[in-house]
Amino acid sequence: MNLPAVAPDAPPSNVAGRTTSITLFTTQKWWGRFFMPFMFTASRAVPKTLDAMDRLSFISFASWTLIRELPYNGPPQTVRRLRYPHLFFEVSFNGSWAQYIDSSVRVLTTGMFSFWSSSRTFPGPLPASPFQRFFKSHEIDTSHYYCAYPDATVTIVRSALALEERLDMFAHRAQNIPEAAFDGAWDAFLEDAQRFL
Amino acid sequence: MSEDRQLELADIQGDILRAYGNAYDHTSYAFVHIDCPPEQARAWFSGLLGHVTTAEPWAQKPLTTLNVALTASGLAALGVSDAAIGSFADEFRQGMAARAQLLGDAGPSAPQEWEPGLGTGAAHVLLTINAQEAEDHHRALGRMKAAMRHAGGVRVVSQVDAQLLPGAREHFGFADGFAQPAIAGATEDKVPGGGVPEKRGRWRPLAAGEFILGYPDEDSNVDRHRRLPSAPRAPLGRNGTYMVWRKLHQDVALWRRTIRAAAERYPLGDAEKLAAKVVGRWHDGTPLETHPDGRDPSFDASAYGANDFRYGDDPDGRRCPLGAHIRRSNPRDALGNEGKLSLRHRMIRRGMPYGPPLPDGRLDDDGADRGLVFVSFQASIFRQFEGVQTPWINDGNIFGLGTDKDFLLGDHSGSGKMTIQGRKPFFLTPQETFVVTRGGEYLFVPGLSALQAIADGAAG
Amino acid sequence: MRSPNIAGRTYTLMVWTPILPGREEDLRSTLDGLDRTRSPLLRVPRTHMARWLIVAGMPVPPGTKAQDPLGGPFLLFTSNFDGDVDSYLHELCELMADEAAAIWSHCVGCPRPPEGAALKAYLHRNQVDAGFTFAAYRDASVQQIRTALDKRERLIDFAVRAQDMEPATRRTAFLEEFGSA
Repeated sequence: MNLPAVAPDAPPSNVAGRTTSITLFTTQKWWGRFFMPFMFTASRAVPKTLDAMDRLSFISFASWTLIRELPYNGPPQTVRRLRYPHLFFEVSFNGSWAQYIDSSVRVLTTGMFSFWSSSRTFPGPLPASPFQRFFKSHEIDTSHYYCAYPDATVTIVRSALALEERLDMFAHRAQNIPEAAFDGAWDAFLEDAQRFL
Repeated sequence: MSEDRQLELADIQGDILRAYGNAYDHTSYAFVHIDCPPEQARAWFSGLLGHVTTAEPWAQKPLTTLNVALTASGLAALGVSDAAIGSFADEFRQGMAARAQLLGDAGPSAPQEWEPGLGTGAAHVLLTINAQEAEDHHRALGRMKAAMRHAGGVRVVSQVDAQLLPGAREHFGFADGFAQPAIAGATEDKVPGGGVPEKRGRWRPLAAGEFILGYPDEDSNVDRHRRLPSAPRAPLGRNGTYMVWRKLHQDVALWRRTIRAAAERYPLGDAEKLAAKVVGRWHDGTPLETHPDGRDPSFDASAYGANDFRYGDDPDGRRCPLGAHIRRSNPRDALGNEGKLSLRHRMIRRGMPYGPPLPDGRLDDDGADRGLVFVSFQASIFRQFEGVQTPWINDGNIFGLGTDKDFLLGDHSGSGKMTIQGRKPFFLTPQETFVVTRGGEYLFVPGLSALQAIADGAAG
Repeated sequence: MRSPNIAGRTYTLMVWTPILPGREEDLRSTLDGLDRTRSPLLRVPRTHMARWLIVAGMPVPPGTKAQDPLGGPFLLFTSNFDGDVDSYLHELCELMADEAAAIWSHCVGCPRPPEGAALKAYLHRNQVDAGFTFAAYRDASVQQIRTALDKRERLIDFAVRAQDMEPATRRTAFLEEFGSA
């Protein structure tokens, strides 16, 4: 019986610890060449655009670029201006690919999908399966992926940063808290800090 | 605009949509291995079909029930073509043992340590027999074995006999099994608490397609084309579902010792409370979320609305800890976004405890084999079972808990701690391995017509 | 106006370089041969995340005759790092000199020898600006993140131990562990 190959034990080349990197290109409908730059400008001007994504706390870096022209290095390079503009998207995220799709499709539906609307063959945000196929079919394989803190997720990093502030402040105060009063102060610190631990 | 067809209860096997009920307190799970050509095996298989219990309502309760499920290797052994098997989900075809890394089945739970007959591809057909009385149970088992002897070429490679414990508890002492998803058109009585949490305290049932193939699921309902979820190709998929079966050994003595020792250091309550904090319910099933300080003597798990609570008002886990078992396995509204990140990850659970109870108060192991046979039904093993096991049970990141694992089920390879949130947070540690996987299989539960097609060699 | 490559203190760099004809397989081997558990990028400590990809071809719009919009495969290097691009490229070429040479020597227009200021200029010339970038921790450097992660681990450890300590000893133990923070 022809069973599918079992996933190998070594992680794929686009995974480092708990972070996965996906890179993809889509071709644009004709109006994308105006729409995408407009989206970029608008998003830069209104940073709240990506609040929903930020709140989900699983994407560490993401970037969108409309590629129309590439730097020229002389022959034998043949192409500098592309015939069609391509949207380039790169994202690093935590969790499985399935979780990424689930969150994107179900929660980031309207806002984020304005970024995809001008991409040809974009099936719409919902349901998940066609969107997942759209994404996967445009993916470029990563040859080498590096992450400086591979086992830390966005949530853990954020917790660590928030905790550090509090810890540093408390450590500073603790120098001057008398022995008898320390316990109460420690309890208060821990009550506040517990959600980051 | 719904043109949902009615659930074809006569074609769906029983115990999936609606539980047979606690009256059926004797259960046997017999994994059959086929050692003969498919034609011969199909002759035996055909003999089963007349006895398979369907989802139709009963005029009168039968003495025993029979359900039939198949592994991927079982489909092949019955002569289903490679092409047809290829239309089943990847994870089902790989089998549970091959997915051990993903599921956290490592160390003592690793497939190499599993009991004979499980996880090797030898298990082909799972016969589940439920009975109300012991003598009917024995008779049904006897008939099953006689039919196998008569047919030849089929034998049992693994069998677990399970029995409900008093009070419908599991071995750690917790009432179990009553909290189930509310399925549109089938278990609307479970909607408050069992459905999808909506605004203003309302709930709605889940689309039947989340649990039975051939019907619209939650995604179909937001698809302008109303496409149905992927399923094995006709005639195999319709009215069927996928099944997860796991034999989970429970070290009750270790659990009792660990909780008791930790409770001595726990300033805010006794061992009973600490245990409730780990699970998210008191032993009798009262939810911690609604009764954080003590159980409700009048709590009735089977009453309408007994399961109606949500976590939205408890974002810091002060009443029910963020990492409590039931909060992890069914977050309801705890992941925000109106339950959208949870609603596609629900499972129907039909497990049964097996083995004799460890006498009350005993803190040392008596060597008896006891635990839980975990059984779940879902349209997608990957999304609904694995999608809970890996990110929610065996990890804490989504809940802001770093690498904390479920304290009840996980092993110590995560952070090794559980934080019990509160004004004075308590760190429950060390994390012992209370539950060990002794074996498991991924199975498919075909509808009645599909079973017939397989038996007739007409499954493609 | 602020460069679109910048998000808080982090910078997103994209370098596109065409691959010399016939050199795609060699480049692939070079990249596959990089140590995944001890990436050479570890030596460029300002790097949060980085990747090399070989873009063999771009998708074409449906209905068009199959053609290669790129005219040949490209090497894409992307990096999310702290601070400014000029000093980063300098560090990349200095601290990872051997690997950088081994990789980019397969590309059109790469200086010979592929090192130092010449290599840096080559990479800079082939930079493509991003349209829009997002960074989850905009203001934290790699070093800050690593320090914070380590402190968190130590605090969890300490909080668990402190639970069982005599109250009188807690303050001393705490200051011993975190006093010089």
